[in-house]
Amino acid sequence: MADQVLEGGSQPVDLSKHPSGIVPTLQNIVSTVNLDCKLDLKAIALQARNAEYNPKRFAAVIMRIREPKTTALIFASGKMVCTGAKSEQQSKLAARKYARIIQKLGFPAKFKDFKIQNIVGSCDVKFPIRLEGLAYSHGAFSSYEPELFPGLIYRMKQPKIVLLIFVSGKIVLTGAKVRDETYTAFENIYPVLTEFRKNQQFGTDGFDDNVMGENWEKGSS
Amino acid sequence: MATFELYRRSTIGMCLTETLDEMVSNGILSPELAIQVLVQFDKSMTEALDSQVKSKVTIKGHLHTYRFCDNVWTFIVQDAMFKYDDIQENVGQVKIVACDSKLLTQ
Repeated sequence: MADQVLEGGSQPVDLSKHPSGIVPTLQNIVSTVNLDCKLDLKAIALQARNAEYNPKRFAAVIMRIREPKTTALIFASGKMVCTGAKSEQQSKLAARKYARIIQKLGFPAKFKDFKIQNIVGSCDVKFPIRLEGLAYSHGAFSSYEPELFPGLIYRMKQPKIVLLIFVSGKIVLTGAKVRDETYTAFENIYPVLTEFRKNQQFGTDGFDDNVMGENWEKGSS
Repeated sequence: MATFELYRRSTIGMCLTETLDEMVSNGILSPELAIQVLVQFDKSMTEALDSQVKSKVTIKGHLHTYRFCDNVWTFIVQDAMFKYDDIQENVGQVKIVACDSKLLTQ
């Protein structure tokens, strides 16, 4: 219940749990469940609404429902993946709805071993970050190759969470099985982010890079 | 060459089928020839829509249901707005069935 209070944007933040004053917003939940019966995917695609089945491309029926707004991958083995929900409860509710649809089509679908597989959250610290400095001082955890991807990839060990950190101060946290891992990872990284806060002044290191780029272009032409 | 039979359900296709049925039952036409005519109709419709129809229609509305199975897309669109040239028309509910014409040439 306390978590639901925290989700509301206008609600006060529990500072004992979120010392940074920022609560990452959950963006995507991936869950799996075993319906524990063999499925005829073509029959499902023909009878169910909002279903796609193209066995040449992918060996599962892709089905969507509007509430909770989610997508399910349904395999002939009876295994199902549910993606797109914004909370654990919504993911479970959606998975139950898909299972019900399969039951209504005449399959003896059960609801076995439901499990949250991944939780993705995001937030904005609202200040720019010196990624190069961060990557240098946290070399063991960081991978920053701006030519490949503009964000810094930070592989935290405890909790085992991957963070994408962008210059803009926007953060993506992924790999959590429970939401507290997302929250802990963010509270762990927040002091580091403040340490590498970029001063928004004229003539930062970024400016020098531009000059070098121009010279290089002149030289090459 | 394979053909799509979906145009047989159009007004012109239904009329042709009815006429052919009548001719077959009156003994004017052999069933084999009637089938051949229908296959030619399938080909001619595909060809005519490809080469002789230049107008474009845009359809906008609420996608109530979609399905993709056996390479056929089916859409049920509610409160659809059809626009072609300067004409526009509202339709409460419309079902769109679409096949991939590339599959015919394979």
